[in-house]
Amino acid sequence: MDRRVVITGLGPVTSIGIGVAAFGAGLRAGRSGVSPITSFDTTGFPHVMGAEVRDFEPASLLRRLDPRQWGLASRFAAAAARLAVEDSGVDPDRIAGPRSGASIGTCTGESQVLQSLTEEWVREGFGAMSPHEAAQAPTHQIGSAVHRELGFTGDSMMVSAACAASNYTIGNAYDLIAGGELDYMIAGGADAMVRWGHAGFYRCGLMAEDACSPFDRDRTGVLAGEGASALFLETLDSAVERGARIYAEVLGYGLSCDARHPVAPDADGIARCIRRAHANAGVTPQDVDYICAHGTGTPANDLTEANAVRDVFGPTPPPMSSIKSMLGHTMGAASGLGAIASVLGIREGFMPPTINYGHEDPALTGIDPVPNAARPARLRVVQNNGFAFGGNNAVTLFGEVA
Amino acid sequence: MAGTLAVTGWGVVASTGVGADEFGKALVDGQSGLRDVGAMFAEELPQPAAHALVDFDVRDHLGRKRTGSLDRTTAFAVTAAGLALADSGIRLDDENRDETGIVLGNTMGSFRSIAEFDRETLVNERPYLVEPLLFPNSVMNCAASRCAIWHQLRGVNATIPAGRISAVSALRYGGTLLRRGHARTLLLGAVEEFSAHRAWLEHHAHADEPSRAPLGEAAALLVTEDARAVRAAGRPLDAEILATKTGHFDPADRATAPADGLAQHLGAALDAAGVTAEQVTTVATGECGLSRVDAVERAAVEAVLGTGPDRLRAADTLGDCGGASAAVQLAAVLALHRDDPGRDGQVSVVTSCDPEGGVGVVVLRGWSRRGALR
Repeated sequence: MDRRVVITGLGPVTSIGIGVAAFGAGLRAGRSGVSPITSFDTTGFPHVMGAEVRDFEPASLLRRLDPRQWGLASRFAAAAARLAVEDSGVDPDRIAGPRSGASIGTCTGESQVLQSLTEEWVREGFGAMSPHEAAQAPTHQIGSAVHRELGFTGDSMMVSAACAASNYTIGNAYDLIAGGELDYMIAGGADAMVRWGHAGFYRCGLMAEDACSPFDRDRTGVLAGEGASALFLETLDSAVERGARIYAEVLGYGLSCDARHPVAPDADGIARCIRRAHANAGVTPQDVDYICAHGTGTPANDLTEANAVRDVFGPTPPPMSSIKSMLGHTMGAASGLGAIASVLGIREGFMPPTINYGHEDPALTGIDPVPNAARPARLRVVQNNGFAFGGNNAVTLFGEVA
Repeated sequence: MAGTLAVTGWGVVASTGVGADEFGKALVDGQSGLRDVGAMFAEELPQPAAHALVDFDVRDHLGRKRTGSLDRTTAFAVTAAGLALADSGIRLDDENRDETGIVLGNTMGSFRSIAEFDRETLVNERPYLVEPLLFPNSVMNCAASRCAIWHQLRGVNATIPAGRISAVSALRYGGTLLRRGHARTLLLGAVEEFSAHRAWLEHHAHADEPSRAPLGEAAALLVTEDARAVRAAGRPLDAEILATKTGHFDPADRATAPADGLAQHLGAALDAAGVTAEQVTTVATGECGLSRVDAVERAAVEAVLGTGPDRLRAADTLGDCGGASAAVQLAAVLALHRDDPGRDGQVSVVTSCDPEGGVGVVVLRGWSRRGALR
């Protein structure tokens, strides 16, 4: 006897806007968050562009945490969670305590802290590592920050599934609330940009130079991004009872693993994941009005994703755009930001665009990437794709609340 | 009990033994895995001894093919997963591998792999001259995804970086997935490696805790399935996971301090398991000489369970296994049951605490491999 689960609060922390109003406006305008990277010294890197979060002032967003005590990913996550709770309009005191939890995803954890510790080791030796940073380094600090900021004492579930992590957390939060284990949950993810990730993407031949142009014939790869996503989930009954604005219902999700290659995506594994998600959510391909794509902009990902989608949906799938064209690849936050875009689209009636789109790719026949401009549309059911290194696939489905 | 998990096999890689039988024998005999680790790495270490597998060679367990790029964390996990699958007797084929997955806890993946990869961006003539084959090792889902590739597990693949309590979180997460139909068989557990990098990181993070146990390293994975289905098929259980709880309590908040929080969750877990405190015969704690964490655990355990149950401190012989702490505690409980029919049907509790305020509880009932009444 499942309880219905809805999303009533959104907390995006992104390069195109912090908070739901700014982020939503950015999505509709097709704004790019890409600029020259400043968080590390890019000297010697042939590619120097990324989508960094500017104007992030955690002290003005956080009510309980002292930002100086936490790494950047933790600050991102806690700020996003606070924004989501504020957006939901729920009384913060009502949700403190044991019936509330958080499921937080990440790809690289407190990566800037680890980067700084590595610099100390390389330049001065292990003895020079900062105790303050060493204490901030464990990944679960990120979940801890969310709980402490909000006064939650239920489950603090950390999930890393590389760049699909947020979709796992939405599924986990949905399961825990639907099954009656908890009443309120924050789901989402956070990651901060680091030098080693930039180097790795570049060296693997996966990085674009100036712009990320998913589904374009001439696409060359990802741009690194960073930020956080947080969604506030509760039961439909709870939302109705307190007269909350409901963005959308969580219909279900599916997970799968390619079990083939550490890096390269696999259409069979992705198609299996999509079918599992549809079955779990009780929808058919015909029900889906829009797909928020994983859409990294690498030649391999976009083709593989399109092949999987065409396998499930047939030759003309629903429109499928990539917000990574605007946000870069925000890693652990990415599919959570996709979820935020999805439910905003349901609530406000639009599909976010794929920007930087110039030329149709003959290999992607049938794919409508919503090129360059947001498109008004009534969206009843939206599918949100998240895939990752290691063949970790996760797909979530959201629906209009009838 | 509706919706409980059956443990139908398990695998472990630890300083005291590789595989359930070797590990179990060492535990019963009270053997310690503490070794001189001075020659393990080129780098200097903050302490001369650790509960480490000083002679571990991945090729002894997985062969020579495709093992060259596996880091230590990944090698441990892939090895433990293989041992667990073999121990359970499950045969993976195209009928069931889509429904079989792994949920693996840790702290941050391999800090050594991350730091060594990042180091290349600092010391090389050009910052991007990193080794592309090693890039996946810098991402913390590497070990879980390599387990999937190695053993062809095409179902759920998740990594739970929850630190000391991560195996409890993995059981909690995995149990939810099994109950809600996202998988039929899951390998649940955790891994942590020993390295100079981790040793120094922990040294700096806990410099104010001189009584801290030497570090340990381990991987332990349990094969879990729906208990009702296992019983219906007439298959034996090593254990039944009766309840799993996790929570997080701000260590700085005196109103809901972690000790009270752990006590609440422990009480709730016993209720959910349908057992009383008096029925608990063994409690396996995560105590490892971190005084502020150990105090939380002791206070909560004594408040709820009193002083009756036997206390099993896995860290005494296995060291502080970091992200694998709760995993080796679970393995230790299973090991006590494995060759001792006298314990059949007994209830044990595993408790876990993290310095940050994370708490976890597992209530389980175990059986021996010779026991008839599983």
